[in-house]
Amino acid sequence: MATTSASVFNPALALNNYSKEQLHVAFTSNLRMSTSCFTKFQLKHFSSSLIPSQSTRIPICAATSPTSPSETTATTFHGLCYVLGNNIDTDQIIPAEYLTLVPSKPDEYRKLGSFALIGLPSTYETRFIESGEVQSKYSIVIGGENFGCGSSREHAPVALGAAGVKAVVAESYARIFFRNSVATGEVYPLESEGRLCDECSTGDVVTVELAKSLLINHTTGKEYKLKPIGDAGPVIDAGGIFAYARKTGMIPSAAPS
Amino acid sequence: MPTSTITASGSTSFIIKKKELGVSTFSSTSFNIIPKKRCSKKVVSVMTPTQSQRPPSTTGSVKTALTMTEKILARASERSALVPGENVWVNVDVLMTHDVCGPGTIGIFKKEFGENAKVWDREKIVIIPDHYIFTSDERANRNVDILRDFCGEQDIKYFYDIKDLGDFRANPDYKGVCHVALAQEGHCRPGEVLLGTDSHTCNAGAFGQFASGIGNTDAGFVMGAGKLLLKVPPTLRFVMDGEMPSYLLAKDLILQIIGEISVAGATYKSMEFVGSTVESLSKLSYIFAYMSTTVFHAKMEERMTLCNMVVEAGGKNGVVPADSNDYISTLRFLSEYRFDVSKLEPLVAKPHSPDNRALARECKDVKIDRVYIGSCTGGKTEDFFAVAKLFQASGKKVKVPTFIVPATQKVWMDIYSIPVPGSGGKTCSQIFEEAGCDTPASPSCGACLGGPRDTYARMNEPQASHIMSMNCLFSVCVSTTNRNFPGRMGHKEGQIYLASPYTAAASALTGFVTDPREFLQ
Repeated sequence: MATTSASVFNPALALNNYSKEQLHVAFTSNLRMSTSCFTKFQLKHFSSSLIPSQSTRIPICAATSPTSPSETTATTFHGLCYVLGNNIDTDQIIPAEYLTLVPSKPDEYRKLGSFALIGLPSTYETRFIESGEVQSKYSIVIGGENFGCGSSREHAPVALGAAGVKAVVAESYARIFFRNSVATGEVYPLESEGRLCDECSTGDVVTVELAKSLLINHTTGKEYKLKPIGDAGPVIDAGGIFAYARKTGMIPSAAPS
Repeated sequence: MPTSTITASGSTSFIIKKKELGVSTFSSTSFNIIPKKRCSKKVVSVMTPTQSQRPPSTTGSVKTALTMTEKILARASERSALVPGENVWVNVDVLMTHDVCGPGTIGIFKKEFGENAKVWDREKIVIIPDHYIFTSDERANRNVDILRDFCGEQDIKYFYDIKDLGDFRANPDYKGVCHVALAQEGHCRPGEVLLGTDSHTCNAGAFGQFASGIGNTDAGFVMGAGKLLLKVPPTLRFVMDGEMPSYLLAKDLILQIIGEISVAGATYKSMEFVGSTVESLSKLSYIFAYMSTTVFHAKMEERMTLCNMVVEAGGKNGVVPADSNDYISTLRFLSEYRFDVSKLEPLVAKPHSPDNRALARECKDVKIDRVYIGSCTGGKTEDFFAVAKLFQASGKKVKVPTFIVPATQKVWMDIYSIPVPGSGGKTCSQIFEEAGCDTPASPSCGACLGGPRDTYARMNEPQASHIMSMNCLFSVCVSTTNRNFPGRMGHKEGQIYLASPYTAAASALTGFVTDPREFLQ
């Protein structure tokens, strides 16, 4: 998950042409979107602000960030989608020249986000992040097969999360990217039942409903089944494996100092 | 040496000198898997045992035949049996990290285990700066400093440091590319579990161990806990039979396999390489010969090439069984692929995917502007010997800039010191110079993954200036490395053809993608 509230973005408020879109989409889908997008959103903050007693420690934001048990689980993501093809490798997600940035350092974490998907070839005409911006307006990435293949760099899911991406929806994932997404809790790696990258276009307004394993494309008015996230869901909800292990009592609730 | 010994319970006899215990061997029949305490690190020699053929049922010790990967994970999880799909807590024998992922891993370790926490075992963490070394990028230099500080603070036993960037030879501790350094420094041992923060960690499967790449967060966990939850992968078996033609190398075999099963064909799976071709590359004694550091063993390096690119098919690990397995037909494999190696031809992977397979001769009209020989995949001693052999056979000069980047300091020394067979005593470096190659560079990952802008041989421009007049739209590189995704070696528009060292050398001589048979037959 992204760790700043700045990434919570509602295109319904920001897009001037959205009222035009509303005329074309199914009313029920629209209703679902508008009732869910504010109520279930989970706001996260830098871990340093949550653990004041550990102020001597370097705040690490790309590491798993503990969340308080009272927080509600994010079950719905709503926003614009950015659509990619097959075999998007981690060099395209974050090219090697930016790997000198250390994800566990907060300022470098943010910089990593600003370079997310900068390695895409010029065939992708729409930029994922506008020049001058540090985050993307696209909070859901839709891909084809074998998303995140190649290098094991954890910088890849971290860069997406830092850029404001909540979920990736792809036909299938490369193993290490999937695992890194869950371990860090940066993004939900969701699998689609069909090939959504051919069904959706960059800029479409979509909603992902985790509990129902559903993706709704409000722009086209279509709904798609996703494969259930399963046991990985609660780990990402918690903010990664360490946070999950603490929350569930697998490891002591605070790091020893 | 290994943290466990694996002994045969049958009547098969072994010759192991007690004083040199620390290495034993896999028998062809049965295994009792007995975790033991660490033995001293010393170079040992072991004879390959004579093996009598016995089905496992006669020994009574093996109820279900396990694949190589399952055996290793069973030992590491202290279980007698397991099945693919099970999640098991695995004790890790070695954790490797480097300058790109080490600082992030350390950051997570400190945050989660505490600022004053100690690593789980200072002798089981191997830290190898290798990615961004010879660069003026301040953040890259700082990352090596972070590793050094941490290794000092934690008293990490195996840290291959570099301080003098001006001359790598002034740093005797510095090795270079982590996967080759791990092998050369004796950190790859049969039967063990090696995890590393690099996808090509699977390289070490060549030594009959479970080796796989992980992310920073998982590595941070291992650093503190010494174990990790892993899912036991099902095994895909690749049977390669037939005599290997003289113009083929292991790189051709793995490009053939990836082309066959695609870049996602082995996702979450283990790839096991067997067959008479592989067996000719796979005697247990080779492993120990390789680890005795003074001996350069070509056949081990070919096995490393095979396992190195397993991740390019999505594989979790690759493994070459340490010795032939008599009851292999009873093992549970998800599927089996068979290849007659004698019929294969030299291959390339065209841009922009490692499974975009083509015959080298089908690409003879592809004009190139550079050749890159290096990386964990194609920058080992044997790879440079292959290049030198082809140059020597042709007697010609290269037509495009040809970059030589030895993986490690030892490979660099081999290039400058070992005579190439059949060359009248010339070394690789002499042959490269005569052929007009660039002077061999300082050992590191180099331009295989692009890296900082000032990285040697990086593809910085969409097209090389000297070929603008040749009507090439983009810079085109034939490379012995492992990936050709967009932007992998620098510029997004750069075109990378992955090839064997023979094919890369032949292409350097013509300026086009070239089948090495033009020079080797």
